Amino acid sequence: MKIVKFLLMILFLFSINIKNLLADNAKMVKGLEIFNEIAGCAGCHTLKAAGSEANIGPNLDTVSLTEESVKDMVTHGLGVMPAYGEGILTKEEIDIVSFYVANSVGK
Amino acid sequence: MKKIKQKFNIKRRNFLTGTASLAGMAATASVLPINIANANHTEGSKGLPGFISWKDRDALIVHSDKGIETHRSAIGESLITPNRNIYIRNNMPTMSDAQIGNRGDWKVSIEGVKNPKTFTLSQLKKLGHTTMATILQCSGNGRGFFEHKVRGSQWETGAAACVLWTGVPMKVVVDACGGINGSAVYMTSAGVDHKPTGLDPKKAMVERSVPKKVFKDAMLAWEMNGVPLPNAHGGPLRMVTPGYFGINNVKHLGKVAFTTEQSSVKYMKSSYRISPIGKKGSQYPSCWEMPVKSWITRPTDETGTVKSGKVQIVGVAMGGTRNVRSVKVSIDGGQSWKRAKFIGPNLGKYAWRQFAFEATLSSGTYNIASLASNGRDKQPELRMENRRGYAHNGWKDHSVNITVV
Repeated sequence: MKIVKFLLMILFLFSINIKNLLADNAKMVKGLEIFNEIAGCAGCHTLKAAGSEANIGPNLDTVSLTEESVKDMVTHGLGVMPAYGEGILTKEEIDIVSFYVANSVGK
Repeated sequence: MKKIKQKFNIKRRNFLTGTASLAGMAATASVLPINIANANHTEGSKGLPGFISWKDRDALIVHSDKGIETHRSAIGESLITPNRNIYIRNNMPTMSDAQIGNRGDWKVSIEGVKNPKTFTLSQLKKLGHTTMATILQCSGNGRGFFEHKVRGSQWETGAAACVLWTGVPMKVVVDACGGINGSAVYMTSAGVDHKPTGLDPKKAMVERSVPKKVFKDAMLAWEMNGVPLPNAHGGPLRMVTPGYFGINNVKHLGKVAFTTEQSSVKYMKSSYRISPIGKKGSQYPSCWEMPVKSWITRPTDETGTVKSGKVQIVGVAMGGTRNVRSVKVSIDGGQSWKRAKFIGPNLGKYAWRQFAFEATLSSGTYNIASLASNGRDKQPELRMENRRGYAHNGWKDHSVNITVV
Protein backbone atom coordinates (compact mmCIF):
# COMPACT_ATOMS: atom_id res chain seq x y z
CA MET A 1 0.00 0.00 0.00
CA LYS A 2 2.84 2.32 0.91
CA ILE A 3 4.43 1.66 -2.47
CA VAL A 4 1.21 2.55 -4.27
CA LYS A 5 0.96 5.79 -2.29
CA PHE A 6 4.58 6.54 -3.10
CA LEU A 7 4.06 5.89 -6.80
CA LEU A 8 0.93 8.02 -6.83
CA MET A 9 2.86 10.83 -5.20
CA ILE A 10 5.64 10.54 -7.81
CA LEU A 11 3.02 10.56 -10.58
CA PHE A 12 1.35 13.63 -9.03
CA LEU A 13 4.62 15.54 -8.78
CA PHE A 14 5.58 14.50 -12.29
CA SER A 15 2.26 15.74 -13.64
CA ILE A 16 2.79 19.10 -11.93
CA ASN A 17 6.21 19.37 -13.54
CA ILE A 18 4.80 18.49 -16.95
CA LYS A 19 2.08 21.08 -16.46
CA ASN A 20 4.65 23.71 -15.48
CA LEU A 21 6.85 22.85 -18.42
CA LEU A 22 3.92 23.13 -20.80
CA ALA A 23 2.96 26.45 -19.24
CA ASP A 24 6.52 27.72 -19.52
CA ASN A 25 6.73 26.71 -23.17
CA ALA A 26 3.45 28.44 -23.88
CA LYS A 27 4.82 31.57 -22.21
CA MET A 28 7.95 31.39 -24.33
CA VAL A 29 5.90 31.16 -27.53
CA LYS A 30 3.60 33.99 -26.48
CA GLY A 31 6.57 36.00 -25.19
CA LEU A 32 8.28 35.79 -28.56
CA GLU A 33 5.11 37.02 -30.24
CA ILE A 34 4.87 39.96 -27.83
CA PHE A 35 8.58 40.72 -28.29
CA ASN A 36 8.49 40.71 -32.07
CA GLU A 37 4.93 41.64 -32.94
CA ILE A 38 2.71 43.02 -30.21
CA ALA A 39 5.13 45.28 -28.33
CA GLY A 40 7.69 45.55 -31.10
CA CYS A 41 10.70 45.20 -28.76
CA ALA A 42 12.53 43.71 -31.75
CA GLY A 43 12.31 47.08 -33.47
CA CYS A 44 14.86 48.51 -31.07
CA HIS A 45 16.76 45.64 -29.44
CA THR A 46 19.01 42.85 -30.57
CA LEU A 47 18.08 39.47 -29.12
CA LYS A 48 19.60 36.57 -31.02
CA ALA A 49 16.97 34.09 -29.82
CA ALA A 50 14.23 36.24 -31.33
CA GLY A 51 16.15 36.88 -34.54
CA SER A 52 16.19 40.62 -33.91
CA GLU A 53 19.17 42.78 -34.81
CA ALA A 54 18.08 46.36 -34.11
CA ASN A 55 20.38 48.85 -32.46
CA ILE A 56 18.35 51.59 -30.81
CA GLY A 57 18.33 50.23 -27.28
CA PRO A 58 20.93 47.99 -25.65
CA ASN A 59 21.70 44.63 -27.20
CA LEU A 60 19.86 42.42 -24.71
CA ASP A 61 22.36 39.63 -25.17
CA THR A 62 25.01 41.91 -23.63
CA VAL A 63 22.98 42.98 -20.60
CA SER A 64 22.93 41.31 -17.23
CA LEU A 65 19.26 41.09 -16.33
CA THR A 66 16.66 39.18 -14.34
CA GLU A 67 12.97 38.58 -14.95
CA GLU A 68 12.22 41.20 -12.29
CA SER A 69 14.57 43.80 -13.79
CA VAL A 70 13.08 43.28 -17.25
CA LYS A 71 9.59 43.64 -15.81
CA ASP A 72 10.57 46.88 -14.10
CA MET A 73 12.14 48.30 -17.25
CA VAL A 74 9.24 47.26 -19.51
CA THR A 75 6.66 48.64 -17.10
CA HIS A 76 8.30 52.01 -16.47
CA GLY A 77 10.47 52.57 -19.56
CA LEU A 78 13.73 54.48 -19.69
CA GLY A 79 14.91 57.26 -21.97
CA VAL A 80 13.47 56.69 -25.41
CA MET A 81 11.94 53.39 -24.30
CA PRO A 82 8.22 53.85 -23.54
CA ALA A 83 6.59 52.84 -20.27
CA TYR A 84 4.71 49.78 -21.47
CA GLY A 85 2.84 49.61 -18.18
CA GLU A 86 1.08 52.87 -19.00
CA GLY A 87 -1.53 51.53 -21.36
CA ILE A 88 0.57 49.78 -24.01
CA LEU A 89 0.74 46.23 -22.66
CA THR A 90 -1.38 44.45 -20.06
CA LYS A 91 0.25 43.31 -16.83
CA GLU A 92 -0.04 39.72 -18.03
CA GLU A 93 1.69 40.56 -21.30
CA ILE A 94 4.49 42.31 -19.41
CA ASP A 95 4.90 39.25 -17.18
CA ILE A 96 5.08 36.96 -20.20
CA VAL A 97 7.50 39.04 -22.29
CA SER A 98 9.73 39.54 -19.23
CA PHE A 99 9.77 35.77 -18.66
CA TYR A 100 10.61 35.31 -22.33
CA VAL A 101 13.46 37.83 -22.40
CA ALA A 102 14.99 36.67 -19.12
CA ASN A 103 15.04 33.09 -20.43
CA SER A 104 16.28 33.97 -23.91
CA VAL A 105 19.26 36.27 -23.41
CA GLY A 106 22.55 34.89 -24.60
CA LYS A 107 20.92 31.88 -26.29
CA MET B 1 12.74 24.26 -21.00
CA LYS B 2 12.51 24.08 -24.73
CA LYS B 3 14.29 26.97 -26.40
CA ILE B 4 11.95 29.05 -28.50
CA LYS B 5 13.86 30.48 -31.41
CA GLN B 6 11.45 30.86 -34.27
CA LYS B 7 11.50 34.13 -36.14
CA PHE B 8 8.65 36.52 -36.66
CA ASN B 9 8.60 39.33 -39.16
CA ILE B 10 9.88 42.39 -37.42
CA LYS B 11 7.93 45.31 -38.72
CA ARG B 12 6.64 47.44 -35.90
CA ARG B 13 8.09 50.33 -34.10
CA ASN B 14 5.15 52.53 -34.84
CA PHE B 15 4.73 54.13 -31.46
CA LEU B 16 8.22 55.49 -31.46
CA THR B 17 8.03 56.98 -34.92
CA GLY B 18 6.45 60.28 -35.71
CA THR B 19 3.98 58.93 -38.19
CA ALA B 20 1.85 56.39 -36.37
CA SER B 21 -0.04 56.60 -33.12
CA LEU B 22 -0.51 54.05 -30.42
CA ALA B 23 -4.14 53.74 -31.30
CA GLY B 24 -3.15 53.26 -34.89
CA MET B 25 -0.88 50.43 -33.92
CA ALA B 26 -3.62 48.65 -32.06
CA ALA B 27 -6.36 49.21 -34.57
CA THR B 28 -4.70 48.83 -37.92
CA ALA B 29 -1.94 46.95 -39.57
CA SER B 30 -0.11 50.20 -40.20
CA VAL B 31 3.37 49.04 -41.04
CA LEU B 32 6.52 51.06 -41.33
CA PRO B 33 9.65 49.54 -42.73
CA ILE B 34 12.06 48.97 -39.94
CA ASN B 35 15.35 50.70 -40.22
CA ILE B 36 18.04 48.45 -38.81
CA ALA B 37 20.11 51.49 -38.14
CA ASN B 38 23.71 50.46 -37.83
CA ALA B 39 25.31 47.10 -37.87
CA ASN B 40 28.13 48.50 -35.76
CA HIS B 41 26.97 47.02 -32.49
CA THR B 42 28.00 43.47 -33.18
CA GLU B 43 30.53 42.10 -30.79
CA GLY B 44 34.13 42.54 -31.85
CA SER B 45 36.94 40.12 -31.21
CA LYS B 46 37.76 41.71 -27.83
CA GLY B 47 34.23 41.41 -26.46
CA LEU B 48 33.51 45.08 -27.06
CA PRO B 49 30.92 46.36 -29.54
CA GLY B 50 32.43 46.83 -33.00
CA PHE B 51 32.14 50.61 -32.93
CA ILE B 52 34.58 50.81 -30.00
CA SER B 53 36.74 47.81 -30.78
CA TRP B 54 39.72 50.21 -30.55
CA LYS B 55 39.24 50.63 -26.78
CA ASP B 56 41.13 48.81 -24.06
CA ARG B 57 38.92 45.92 -22.95
CA ASP B 58 40.89 45.41 -19.75
CA ALA B 59 40.17 49.00 -18.65
CA LEU B 60 36.42 48.64 -19.09
CA ILE B 61 33.34 47.15 -17.45
CA VAL B 62 30.63 46.30 -19.99
CA HIS B 63 27.12 46.94 -18.61
CA SER B 64 25.66 46.74 -22.11
CA ASP B 65 26.74 47.73 -25.61
CA LYS B 66 25.41 51.24 -24.79
CA GLY B 67 26.86 51.55 -21.30
CA ILE B 68 30.54 50.82 -20.74
CA GLU B 69 32.35 51.95 -17.62
CA THR B 70 36.02 52.63 -16.87
CA HIS B 71 37.49 50.55 -14.07
CA ARG B 72 38.15 52.64 -10.98
CA SER B 73 41.84 51.89 -11.21
CA ALA B 74 42.00 52.82 -14.92
CA ILE B 75 40.90 56.45 -14.62
CA GLY B 76 43.28 58.72 -12.87
CA GLU B 77 46.89 57.73 -13.25
CA SER B 78 47.87 60.47 -15.69
CA LEU B 79 45.30 63.25 -15.18
CA ILE B 80 43.95 63.08 -18.73
CA THR B 81 42.01 59.89 -19.30
CA PRO B 82 43.23 58.15 -22.46
CA ASN B 83 40.55 57.73 -25.13
CA ARG B 84 40.92 53.96 -25.05
CA ASN B 85 39.83 53.96 -21.38
CA ILE B 86 36.96 56.49 -21.56
CA TYR B 87 33.44 55.34 -20.76
CA ILE B 88 30.59 55.08 -23.26
CA ARG B 89 27.02 56.15 -22.60
CA ASN B 90 24.87 56.44 -25.69
CA ASN B 91 21.20 57.32 -25.86
CA MET B 92 21.16 56.77 -29.62
CA PRO B 93 23.28 54.50 -31.79
CA THR B 94 26.69 55.95 -32.61
CA MET B 95 26.63 57.36 -36.13
CA SER B 96 28.70 55.48 -38.68
CA ASP B 97 31.25 57.00 -41.08
CA ALA B 98 28.76 56.49 -43.92
CA GLN B 99 26.05 58.39 -42.04
CA ILE B 100 28.44 61.20 -41.16
CA GLY B 101 29.96 61.55 -44.63
CA ASN B 102 32.80 63.97 -45.23
CA ARG B 103 33.62 65.34 -41.78
CA GLY B 104 34.61 68.76 -43.10
CA ASP B 105 31.15 69.14 -44.62
CA TRP B 106 29.33 68.42 -41.33
CA LYS B 107 26.84 71.22 -40.70
CA VAL B 108 25.75 72.98 -37.54
CA SER B 109 23.19 75.77 -37.53
CA ILE B 110 23.31 78.62 -35.03
CA GLU B 111 19.93 80.16 -34.18
CA GLY B 112 18.54 82.65 -31.70
CA VAL B 113 21.31 85.06 -32.65
CA LYS B 114 21.23 88.37 -34.53
CA ASN B 115 22.38 86.75 -37.80
CA PRO B 116 21.51 83.03 -37.83
CA LYS B 117 24.00 81.00 -39.82
CA THR B 118 24.91 77.48 -40.75
CA PHE B 119 28.59 76.59 -40.55
CA THR B 120 30.38 73.57 -41.93
CA LEU B 121 33.06 72.05 -39.74
CA SER B 122 35.69 73.37 -42.16
CA GLN B 123 34.31 76.90 -41.71
CA LEU B 124 34.24 76.54 -37.92
CA LYS B 125 37.92 75.63 -37.95
CA LYS B 126 38.67 78.98 -39.59
CA LEU B 127 36.71 80.92 -36.96
CA GLY B 128 38.85 80.15 -33.95
CA HIS B 129 40.77 77.49 -32.13
CA THR B 130 41.50 76.63 -28.53
CA THR B 131 42.06 73.66 -26.21
CA MET B 132 40.64 73.13 -22.74
CA ALA B 133 40.27 70.34 -20.22
CA THR B 134 36.89 69.39 -18.79
CA ILE B 135 35.39 66.52 -16.91
CA LEU B 136 32.92 64.42 -18.79
CA GLN B 137 30.68 62.66 -16.29
CA CYS B 138 27.41 60.81 -16.78
CA SER B 139 24.58 62.11 -14.58
CA GLY B 140 24.15 58.59 -13.24
CA ASN B 141 27.77 58.06 -12.22
CA GLY B 142 27.50 56.46 -8.76
CA ARG B 143 24.06 55.00 -9.44
CA GLY B 144 25.35 51.56 -8.54
CA PHE B 145 25.59 52.66 -4.89
CA PHE B 146 21.88 53.41 -4.55
CA GLU B 147 19.84 50.75 -2.85
CA HIS B 148 16.38 51.24 -4.34
CA LYS B 149 16.98 49.23 -7.53
CA VAL B 150 17.37 52.15 -9.90
CA ARG B 151 16.86 51.41 -13.59
CA GLY B 152 19.84 52.15 -15.83
CA SER B 153 23.50 51.23 -15.91
CA GLN B 154 24.87 50.55 -12.45
CA TRP B 155 27.83 52.90 -12.67
CA GLU B 156 30.10 53.21 -9.66
CA THR B 157 32.94 55.66 -10.37
CA GLY B 158 33.81 54.98 -14.01
CA ALA B 159 31.27 56.99 -15.97
CA ALA B 160 33.68 59.89 -15.82
CA ALA B 161 36.83 61.10 -17.55
CA CYS B 162 39.06 64.14 -17.76
CA VAL B 163 39.39 65.14 -21.40
CA LEU B 164 41.35 67.68 -23.46
CA TRP B 165 39.03 69.14 -26.08
CA THR B 166 40.07 71.15 -29.10
CA GLY B 167 37.57 73.28 -30.98
CA VAL B 168 36.17 76.77 -31.31
CA PRO B 169 34.87 78.68 -28.27
CA MET B 170 31.10 79.16 -28.46
CA LYS B 171 31.65 82.83 -27.69
CA VAL B 172 33.59 83.22 -30.96
CA VAL B 173 30.77 81.54 -32.87
CA VAL B 174 28.20 83.82 -31.22
CA ASP B 175 30.26 86.90 -32.09
CA ALA B 176 30.44 85.72 -35.70
CA CYS B 177 26.65 85.66 -35.68
CA GLY B 178 26.25 89.19 -34.35
CA GLY B 179 25.50 88.25 -30.73
CA ILE B 180 22.63 86.54 -28.90
CA ASN B 181 19.04 87.67 -29.24
CA GLY B 182 18.09 89.73 -26.23
CA SER B 183 15.23 87.54 -25.02
CA ALA B 184 17.19 84.27 -24.85
CA VAL B 185 17.35 82.45 -21.51
CA TYR B 186 18.83 79.12 -22.55
CA MET B 187 21.44 77.69 -24.88
CA THR B 188 19.80 74.68 -26.50
CA SER B 189 21.95 72.12 -28.33
CA ALA B 190 20.55 69.38 -30.55
CA GLY B 191 22.13 66.20 -31.85
CA VAL B 192 21.19 64.53 -35.10
CA ASP B 193 22.00 60.95 -34.15
CA HIS B 194 18.29 60.10 -33.92
CA LYS B 195 17.79 60.84 -37.62
CA PRO B 196 19.07 57.55 -39.08
CA THR B 197 16.77 55.65 -36.71
CA GLY B 198 13.59 57.20 -38.09
CA LEU B 199 12.27 57.66 -34.55
CA ASP B 200 10.02 60.53 -33.50
CA PRO B 201 12.36 63.46 -32.65
CA LYS B 202 10.19 64.45 -29.68
CA LYS B 203 10.99 61.09 -28.09
CA ALA B 204 14.44 60.35 -29.45
CA MET B 205 16.28 63.58 -30.20
CA VAL B 206 18.94 64.50 -27.67
CA GLU B 207 18.28 68.21 -27.34
CA ARG B 208 19.43 69.85 -24.14
CA SER B 209 18.92 73.34 -22.80
CA VAL B 210 21.32 74.85 -20.29
CA PRO B 211 21.33 78.37 -18.82
CA LYS B 212 22.49 80.90 -21.41
CA LYS B 213 25.54 81.87 -19.33
CA VAL B 214 27.13 78.50 -20.11
CA PHE B 215 27.97 79.70 -23.63
CA LYS B 216 30.76 81.89 -22.26
CA ASP B 217 32.93 78.86 -21.47
CA ALA B 218 31.37 76.37 -23.91
CA MET B 219 33.07 74.98 -26.99
CA LEU B 220 32.22 73.25 -30.22
CA ALA B 221 34.82 70.47 -30.17
CA TRP B 222 36.20 68.43 -33.03
CA GLU B 223 39.21 66.88 -31.29
CA MET B 224 39.41 64.76 -28.17
CA ASN B 225 42.78 64.20 -26.54
CA GLY B 226 44.63 65.05 -29.73
CA VAL B 227 42.72 62.98 -32.26
CA PRO B 228 39.64 63.77 -34.36
CA LEU B 229 36.58 63.33 -32.12
CA PRO B 230 35.72 59.62 -32.43
CA ASN B 231 32.22 58.81 -33.69
CA ALA B 232 31.59 56.90 -30.47
CA HIS B 233 32.07 60.14 -28.53
CA GLY B 234 29.90 62.27 -30.79
CA GLY B 235 32.15 62.99 -33.75
CA PRO B 236 32.72 64.89 -35.84
CA LEU B 237 31.39 67.75 -33.69
CA ARG B 238 30.20 67.93 -30.12
CA MET B 239 29.02 70.61 -27.71
CA VAL B 240 31.16 70.88 -24.58
CA THR B 241 29.43 72.47 -21.57
CA PRO B 242 32.13 72.71 -18.89
CA GLY B 243 31.03 71.81 -15.38
CA TYR B 244 27.74 70.37 -16.60
CA PHE B 245 26.79 66.70 -16.67
CA GLY B 246 27.61 64.62 -19.75
CA ILE B 247 24.14 64.65 -21.30
CA ASN B 248 24.44 68.42 -21.91
CA ASN B 249 27.60 67.86 -23.96
CA VAL B 250 25.49 66.95 -26.97
CA LYS B 251 27.03 64.53 -29.47
CA HIS B 252 26.77 64.65 -33.26
CA LEU B 253 25.84 68.32 -32.93
CA GLY B 254 23.50 69.72 -35.59
CA LYS B 255 22.08 72.87 -34.03
CA VAL B 256 22.72 75.38 -31.26
CA ALA B 257 19.87 77.78 -30.55
CA PHE B 258 19.51 80.53 -27.97
CA THR B 259 15.94 80.10 -26.78
CA THR B 260 13.45 81.59 -24.38
CA GLU B 261 12.11 78.17 -23.36
CA GLN B 262 13.72 74.86 -22.53
CA SER B 263 13.49 72.18 -25.22
CA SER B 264 10.27 70.18 -25.14
CA VAL B 265 11.81 66.84 -26.17
CA LYS B 266 11.64 63.92 -23.75
CA TYR B 267 15.36 64.03 -22.97
CA MET B 268 14.91 67.55 -21.63
CA LYS B 269 11.37 67.62 -20.34
CA SER B 270 11.09 64.40 -18.39
CA SER B 271 14.37 62.50 -18.55
CA TYR B 272 17.38 63.58 -16.49
CA ARG B 273 15.23 65.18 -13.78
CA ILE B 274 16.37 64.83 -10.18
CA SER B 275 13.15 63.86 -8.42
CA PRO B 276 12.32 62.16 -5.12
CA ILE B 277 11.95 58.38 -5.21
CA GLY B 278 8.47 57.55 -6.54
CA LYS B 279 7.97 60.95 -8.21
CA LYS B 280 8.77 62.33 -11.64
CA GLY B 281 8.12 65.39 -13.77
CA SER B 282 9.56 68.47 -15.40
CA GLN B 283 9.09 70.52 -12.23
CA TYR B 284 12.17 68.85 -10.73
CA PRO B 285 15.73 70.11 -11.38
CA SER B 286 17.46 68.99 -14.55
CA CYS B 287 20.89 67.36 -14.49
CA TRP B 288 22.93 70.49 -15.07
CA GLU B 289 25.83 71.55 -12.82
CA MET B 290 27.97 68.78 -11.41
CA PRO B 291 28.58 68.86 -7.67
CA VAL B 292 31.96 68.74 -5.93
CA LYS B 293 33.22 65.16 -5.81
CA SER B 294 36.27 62.95 -5.37
CA TRP B 295 37.17 59.33 -5.21
CA ILE B 296 40.22 57.19 -4.62
CA THR B 297 41.63 55.36 -7.62
CA ARG B 298 44.48 53.48 -5.92
CA PRO B 299 44.63 51.36 -3.88
CA THR B 300 41.17 49.86 -4.27
CA ASP B 301 39.61 46.46 -3.87
CA GLU B 302 40.32 46.05 -7.62
CA THR B 303 44.06 46.33 -7.10
CA GLY B 304 44.34 43.49 -4.58
CA THR B 305 45.96 43.38 -1.17
CA VAL B 306 48.40 46.11 -0.17
CA LYS B 307 51.84 45.52 1.33
CA SER B 308 52.21 47.01 4.82
CA GLY B 309 54.37 50.11 5.28
CA LYS B 310 54.15 53.38 3.42
CA VAL B 311 51.20 53.44 1.05
CA GLN B 312 50.43 56.12 -1.54
CA ILE B 313 46.70 56.76 -1.63
CA VAL B 314 45.81 58.59 -4.86
CA GLY B 315 42.63 59.76 -6.47
CA VAL B 316 40.84 62.47 -8.42
CA ALA B 317 38.87 65.47 -7.19
CA MET B 318 36.59 67.93 -8.98
CA GLY B 319 34.96 71.17 -7.96
CA GLY B 320 32.02 71.10 -10.38
CA THR B 321 31.79 74.62 -11.77
CA ARG B 322 34.34 76.00 -9.29
CA ASN B 323 37.98 75.23 -8.55
CA VAL B 324 38.44 72.30 -6.23
CA ARG B 325 40.17 73.77 -3.18
CA SER B 326 41.05 70.87 -0.90
CA VAL B 327 40.80 67.13 -0.42
CA LYS B 328 40.96 65.30 2.86
CA VAL B 329 41.57 61.58 3.25
CA SER B 330 40.41 59.27 6.02
CA ILE B 331 41.83 55.82 6.65
CA ASP B 332 39.37 55.00 9.41
CA GLY B 333 36.01 55.21 7.70
CA GLY B 334 35.55 58.93 8.21
CA GLN B 335 36.30 59.19 11.94
CA SER B 336 39.36 61.36 11.31
CA TRP B 337 40.58 63.27 8.26
CA LYS B 338 43.94 64.60 7.07
CA ARG B 339 44.64 66.90 4.17
CA ALA B 340 45.95 65.34 0.94
CA LYS B 341 48.31 67.06 -1.51
CA PHE B 342 47.33 68.01 -5.01
CA ILE B 343 49.77 66.58 -7.53
CA GLY B 344 50.30 67.15 -11.23
CA PRO B 345 49.27 70.18 -13.25
CA ASN B 346 46.22 72.35 -12.69
CA LEU B 347 44.36 72.42 -16.00
CA GLY B 348 41.66 74.80 -14.80
CA LYS B 349 38.53 74.66 -12.74
CA TYR B 350 36.68 72.33 -15.11
CA ALA B 351 39.38 69.64 -15.01
CA TRP B 352 39.92 67.37 -12.08
CA ARG B 353 42.97 67.47 -9.83
CA GLN B 354 44.87 64.41 -8.80
CA PHE B 355 45.63 64.10 -5.13
CA ALA B 356 47.98 61.94 -3.09
CA PHE B 357 48.14 61.05 0.56
CA GLU B 358 50.92 59.01 2.14
CA ALA B 359 49.90 56.74 4.97
CA THR B 360 51.82 54.17 6.96
CA LEU B 361 49.60 51.14 7.29
CA SER B 362 50.14 47.95 9.27
CA SER B 363 48.37 44.73 8.40
CA GLY B 364 44.62 44.82 8.74
CA THR B 365 41.55 46.07 6.89
CA TYR B 366 40.89 49.74 6.26
CA ASN B 367 38.04 51.84 4.96
CA ILE B 368 39.59 54.71 3.01
CA ALA B 369 37.58 57.77 2.01
CA SER B 370 38.20 61.13 0.37
CA LEU B 371 36.32 64.38 0.89
CA ALA B 372 36.69 67.32 -1.50
CA SER B 373 35.68 70.95 -1.10
CA ASN B 374 35.41 73.80 -3.62
CA GLY B 375 35.41 76.46 -0.93
CA ARG B 376 31.66 76.83 -1.04
CA ASP B 377 30.44 73.22 -0.95
CA LYS B 378 31.97 70.02 0.28
CA GLN B 379 30.98 66.45 -0.33
CA PRO B 380 28.22 65.21 1.95
CA GLU B 381 28.64 61.96 3.82
CA LEU B 382 25.54 60.39 2.33
CA ARG B 383 24.03 60.31 -1.14
CA MET B 384 21.08 62.50 -2.03
CA GLU B 385 18.36 59.88 -2.50
CA ASN B 386 16.55 60.37 -5.80
CA ARG B 387 14.45 58.32 -8.18
CA ARG B 388 16.95 57.82 -10.98
CA GLY B 389 20.15 57.73 -8.98
CA TYR B 390 21.63 60.97 -10.31
CA ALA B 391 24.37 63.30 -9.07
CA HIS B 392 25.79 61.06 -6.34
CA ASN B 393 28.70 62.74 -4.56
CA GLY B 394 28.44 61.28 -1.05
CA TRP B 395 31.87 60.30 0.27
CA LYS B 396 30.80 57.24 2.22
CA ASP B 397 29.57 55.18 -0.73
CA HIS B 398 32.66 56.16 -2.71
CA SER B 399 35.05 54.94 -0.03
CA VAL B 400 37.10 51.77 -0.59
CA ASN B 401 37.90 48.82 1.62
CA ILE B 402 41.44 47.54 1.38
CA THR B 403 43.34 44.75 3.03
CA VAL B 404 46.94 45.36 4.11
CA VAL B 405 49.19 42.33 4.64
